[in-house]
Amino acid sequence: MAEPTRRKSEDIPVLDIENLAVAYKVRGGEVEAIQNVTLDIKKGESHGIVGESGCGKSTCAWSIINFLGANGYVKRGTIKFQGKNLVGKKGEELRRLRGDQIAMVYQDPMQSLNHSMVLGEQLKEVLTVHQGMSNKAAEKDCIRMLEKVQMPDAANVMRRFPHQISGGQQQRVVIAMALLNNPALLLMDEPTTALDVTVEAAVLDLIADLRKEFNTAIMYITHDLGVVARVSTRVGVMYAGEMVERATVEELFKSPQHPYTQGLMRCVPKLGTDRSSSILYPIPGRVPPPGGRPAGCVFWPRCDYVRKRCREERPKLRSIAGTETWVRCHFSEDIDMGSWEPPEDLVLPGTVQKKEVDETILEVKGLKKYYRVRGNSLKDVFGMGEKQYVKAVEHASFKVPRGKTLGIVGESGCGKSTLVKTIIGLERATDGEARFLGFDITNSISARDRKLIQELQMVFQNPDSTMNPSYTVGQQIARPLKRFNVMPKEKITDEVLRLLRSMRLDEKYYDRLPRQLSGGEKQRVGIARALASHPDLVLCDEPVSALDVSVQAAIINLLLEIQEEFGTTLIFISHDLSVTRFFSEYVCVMYLGQIMELGPAEEIYAPPYHPYTEALLSAVPIPDPTAKQKRVRLQGVVPSAIAPPSGCRLNTRCPRREMLPDPDICLTDPPWREVHPGHHIYCHIPLDELRKIDPVVSIKEVNHAG
Amino acid sequence: MNAEAAANEENKSEKRTKPSLWKTISIIFESRVATIGMVMVAFWVIVGCISLVWTPYDPNSSDFIQNLSPNATNWLGTDHMGRDLLSRLMQGTQVILLKTRLPGGEHSIPGGVAIWGVLGSLFLGVILGLNAGYRRGWTDQIIMQVLDALIAFPQIVLYLVVIAALGQGDMVVILAITITGAPGVARLARSLALDIQTRDYIRAAETRAESAWFIMFREILPNARGPLLVDSMLRVGYAIFMIGTLGFLGIGLPPPDPDWGSMVNEARKYIFVNQLPVIWPALAISTLVIGLNLFADGLREELMRYQK
Amino acid sequence: MVRFLVRSVVSTIITILLVSIGLFVLIEVGSGDISVKILGVFSTPEQRASYRAQLGLNAPTWQRYLDWLVGNDWRAKSRMTYPLITLKNPKTKEVEWWADVDGQATRWKMDKGELKRLVRKEDGFSKVMPAESDWIKGEGTEEFFWGVDNRNNAVKFVKGSGEEVWVLTKAGLRKQGDGPREYIPLRKGLIRGDAGLSWQYNRPVSMILKPRVRNTLVLAGVAFVVVMPLALFFGILAGINEGKLLDRIISITSLGATSTPEFVTGIFLILIFGIWLKVLPAVTMFTSSNAIFENPMMLALPVMTLTAVELGYVARMTRASMVEVMDSAYIRTAIVKGMPYWRVVFRHAIRNALMAPITIIMLHVNWLIGGVVVVEVIFGYPGLGKFIFDSAIFGDFSAIEAAAMVTVLIAIITRLIGDLAYTLLNPRVRYA
Repeated sequence: MAEPTRRKSEDIPVLDIENLAVAYKVRGGEVEAIQNVTLDIKKGESHGIVGESGCGKSTCAWSIINFLGANGYVKRGTIKFQGKNLVGKKGEELRRLRGDQIAMVYQDPMQSLNHSMVLGEQLKEVLTVHQGMSNKAAEKDCIRMLEKVQMPDAANVMRRFPHQISGGQQQRVVIAMALLNNPALLLMDEPTTALDVTVEAAVLDLIADLRKEFNTAIMYITHDLGVVARVSTRVGVMYAGEMVERATVEELFKSPQHPYTQGLMRCVPKLGTDRSSSILYPIPGRVPPPGGRPAGCVFWPRCDYVRKRCREERPKLRSIAGTETWVRCHFSEDIDMGSWEPPEDLVLPGTVQKKEVDETILEVKGLKKYYRVRGNSLKDVFGMGEKQYVKAVEHASFKVPRGKTLGIVGESGCGKSTLVKTIIGLERATDGEARFLGFDITNSISARDRKLIQELQMVFQNPDSTMNPSYTVGQQIARPLKRFNVMPKEKITDEVLRLLRSMRLDEKYYDRLPRQLSGGEKQRVGIARALASHPDLVLCDEPVSALDVSVQAAIINLLLEIQEEFGTTLIFISHDLSVTRFFSEYVCVMYLGQIMELGPAEEIYAPPYHPYTEALLSAVPIPDPTAKQKRVRLQGVVPSAIAPPSGCRLNTRCPRREMLPDPDICLTDPPWREVHPGHHIYCHIPLDELRKIDPVVSIKEVNHAG
Repeated sequence: MNAEAAANEENKSEKRTKPSLWKTISIIFESRVATIGMVMVAFWVIVGCISLVWTPYDPNSSDFIQNLSPNATNWLGTDHMGRDLLSRLMQGTQVILLKTRLPGGEHSIPGGVAIWGVLGSLFLGVILGLNAGYRRGWTDQIIMQVLDALIAFPQIVLYLVVIAALGQGDMVVILAITITGAPGVARLARSLALDIQTRDYIRAAETRAESAWFIMFREILPNARGPLLVDSMLRVGYAIFMIGTLGFLGIGLPPPDPDWGSMVNEARKYIFVNQLPVIWPALAISTLVIGLNLFADGLREELMRYQK
Repeated sequence: MVRFLVRSVVSTIITILLVSIGLFVLIEVGSGDISVKILGVFSTPEQRASYRAQLGLNAPTWQRYLDWLVGNDWRAKSRMTYPLITLKNPKTKEVEWWADVDGQATRWKMDKGELKRLVRKEDGFSKVMPAESDWIKGEGTEEFFWGVDNRNNAVKFVKGSGEEVWVLTKAGLRKQGDGPREYIPLRKGLIRGDAGLSWQYNRPVSMILKPRVRNTLVLAGVAFVVVMPLALFFGILAGINEGKLLDRIISITSLGATSTPEFVTGIFLILIFGIWLKVLPAVTMFTSSNAIFENPMMLALPVMTLTAVELGYVARMTRASMVEVMDSAYIRTAIVKGMPYWRVVFRHAIRNALMAPITIIMLHVNWLIGGVVVVEVIFGYPGLGKFIFDSAIFGDFSAIEAAAMVTVLIAIITRLIGDLAYTLLNPRVRYA
């Protein structure tokens, strides 16, 4: 008797969602956040769900555990969990499932842990409540689980509060908490999005290991094609609340069927390819909001292959013959991705060779920025303690030639933002030299000449805060023009409209308020404002990292185009190595306030690497499941910048330290080893040794762009 | 997602249309709570405005039999001196909301004591709060320390001290409301400034080397006005409350104009005989304060929704 | 955390100093010439000048502030020949200043140009003895002596030139000859428990203040103990039922309660319970300052009045905080972990939800004190609030300064306690 039933439960998918539609009641009606979502996840399988923001990915996960808030409900369809329908379950029955059979991990670990309870208490209750386990037994199990998620000093962590451990460790705790009851289904909603790339890589490794060990079915939601390629076996692509394509991960990346999926593939930069061939093609338009979706196919307004039928008839999710792929498109068989041609009005930057001008516009030598911090002992309170400093930037030296782009990469806390703030004058340099157009710029901005201020402008990261919500687009772009007396007053309006046009925004945007713009549009206005005073150097602080990939590509192209047109020099900060690679001629890699490697982009991304560069490159998620990527991981956590390790600051975590006969030499300042003129590595390991290291990434050259 | 939808709606609208004032006002009507509150406040403002030109009888003359119940001539009854309660109640709105009597003369300026007091604390508080929140460091420490000292005074004690020192009068009450209100406004303005100054558009202004005053008043203040407006409404409520209390204690606004608090004070000695002269002004104060509270609450919710 | 604690304490001390300066300047400078207020508008300029000299008002403001705050006996001591001592008057229990001359408490006076000692006897009276030998030679031919007069002033007598002074007695102003040239009205200063003399009662303020502060603390304390559990309970109840009927009822009731002034609530409570129901004394006569201990029922109506006003406010704060917490990501985590609802509320939500109200409640204590003033006036309750009110009406400056300082002190100390409580409740601060 037992035999067939067990067999049966093996066959039944852990999760089987069919034609799911979730609606939210809002003032004056309701909107369907997701509609017609179908998917199934088998035991031990990791099913990725990928899509841009606002596509309904999270709603999909929340609907499974029926946590849709007061105004959300499942309107149509079924959610079967181990064969039983979950829709409509509530109360005690639902509670028993949550945290026991179905567990969830989500984005921001700091927010999702209770900050006034010790971690042990939060972990243990999962066991004591669901399994009625005794406190002592639960404690033991929790420690064992923490060890499984590779948490150092597990027993001690049980007694800590969330804010006392790092972000990566918090996410490990949340994952451990989810796994405690060995759930059949694990829902992960962007679990690594808030983490640094090397930490993310370690957490992704962990998830892969745990999946093998526990044989759990995982639903993995992310916006990042690279991550999805790394963690999933099958992938569903969501667009505007619908599942538009489902396929195995290999199929999806090899031959995407839906035009949207194809578009996505074209607009992410891939690490390892060289710059000239990796042109990004943005998808025109933007994701429609839930209330404003078009009739017919949801994608048709942005689709390059749109036909009459697409506008009238909503396609069904159908299977492609001879594959495991399902696609929601009428004509996917007719579409050949290889023969895709970019639309003619798309101006492609970066293809023209830039004129070689040998003029250094910015030169930084031995720049230092320290922040004073106050200690917490009684002595410090009375000012008798030792003075402590956060050494945010230490001995930064580089040159930027006119008209070129310098990319600065590094993880959070590496000092890249501080460096840029010091250059622009929002912070005063503690020591060192910095010259811009030959003028000293180690002082703060208020001490600078207005002409100099005008030549140095900045583009910011967050589209939601880059514009003042109280003023119209026109007013905000006009402000620098007025401030710097660039032109007579009566010409300002014309100039603003001209700038808007060069940002591909027409004049109706002139009187719009920021809240009427999308993220990408706000970022365009931010760029227009920075360019208004015709600066020679523009500092870009992660200008695209908060944007969706399709928009990101458009902004990057725009920046490149502008650079070509105005000959502007750019400094581009990013944590994203793929984007930086695509964008910059020169790259500078920073770690904990020190520059580790500096040189032309193509040389940075190929051996010889600095060990830190190598670790970074090996951590970057590559949107290609066939790509071979070495696994080099940094150990431990980032040390405090107040008391950084002496000598090479990487020495506590360096994966290549054992290559040296005497590892203690790392405690002294390393030499600047010159690979080529202009390419320097800050490391004790001799270049010949570093040259022996294989490239981190190798990709079969399949060029979707054609 | 809602905001996106809204934004999309707007994209369809005509090109180059300025956001209209009506649109801002219409936010109020989207909230039932705010609408109820506004109706309650508007009622008293209108009653006050009418009383400026017309009251049923002279509020200060004893024309009738004492302690009458409501009847056809005296709709709300009369008090212990035979004065018409409706007329007195109507005129009681004036000193609070509509006019301030200048010292010494018969002249008065528009805007009641509560309004001017709150405007005063808004002015003082915003200047201090923005400076503390934007400049931070020592400026912040010093300003906050001084404000802490002011906030340490129980409000009514501070009133009593001010009145003991300066005597009674409309201006003294305004001064007292200003002093007691300013620290609260400053704290709010400071916390808003601390939040807003982290935004990138402030950095953008700094990279243009704008002056601190420009950043504080042109970049930060416009984005802080919503919460400040809501807070001010609550403050008008507190002020009315306080004026009532002072009037009750007999040290508030000087005669001859009746104010609600002093009406209660006069009538309470006769409460065993006639409760109405206490009830009407008490109701007036309560409804006006509740109205302001509801208005503020509703507005705050709508503003938050609107910003999301 | 050490940093936080030290900062709080230092900041509190600075705050108290600032308050005292502000208070002193406002009262002493803002109020103009005090002598007019005391002697009346019909007094002559000469009388006022003499009286001002006796009160030590001719000294610069900073000097008087210091005298008021830390006392001036140390200033007088440095001038006097004999050491200053204080004795308690056996009848009035008031503190008197004397000089210690060879073990005998002594004061001085000028009589017909001659200096006389008044030596204190066991029965409290004093005997007059000649003291011509006490004169000290000054510059030139002048001979002077710093002693204590019988009005607790340190005074400078000058031989052969007695001043004409106007002395305020119970019968009014009287002119006396042989007066001293300079006065230092002796006081120990506020921080040593001497708040000066009340003009209204003609007794030391600190003696009047003590029982009143105690009475007020009893009233406010009882109200606090009644209000807090109720308010937190209703607030949490409303918070976890956000948007439901129960929440509406609690919210509207509490808004109504906070929006009704104390004086109205008080009057109607008297009316309802005292007149109509006759269950509580309608007119409470607080015959002595100890009355509340003899008949605790007298507290009922004042406490109810305070409760009605405070309850709504704190409940509203708690509700808002609870709503915010219930909406947070970590509560979502707890629910998604499959924790039972009540466990989520009690283990996860309440502790965080109470953090905000506790600081606000502590800040709110000075609002409570404001309410106490009104309640005490309505009920004639012999507490601090009524005392401040009476002093303000009377223009009794020493009294109002001292009483205001006491209220401020109470407010500041509770705030400090609130800060500490917050630190203890919030591990993020505790381990910072």
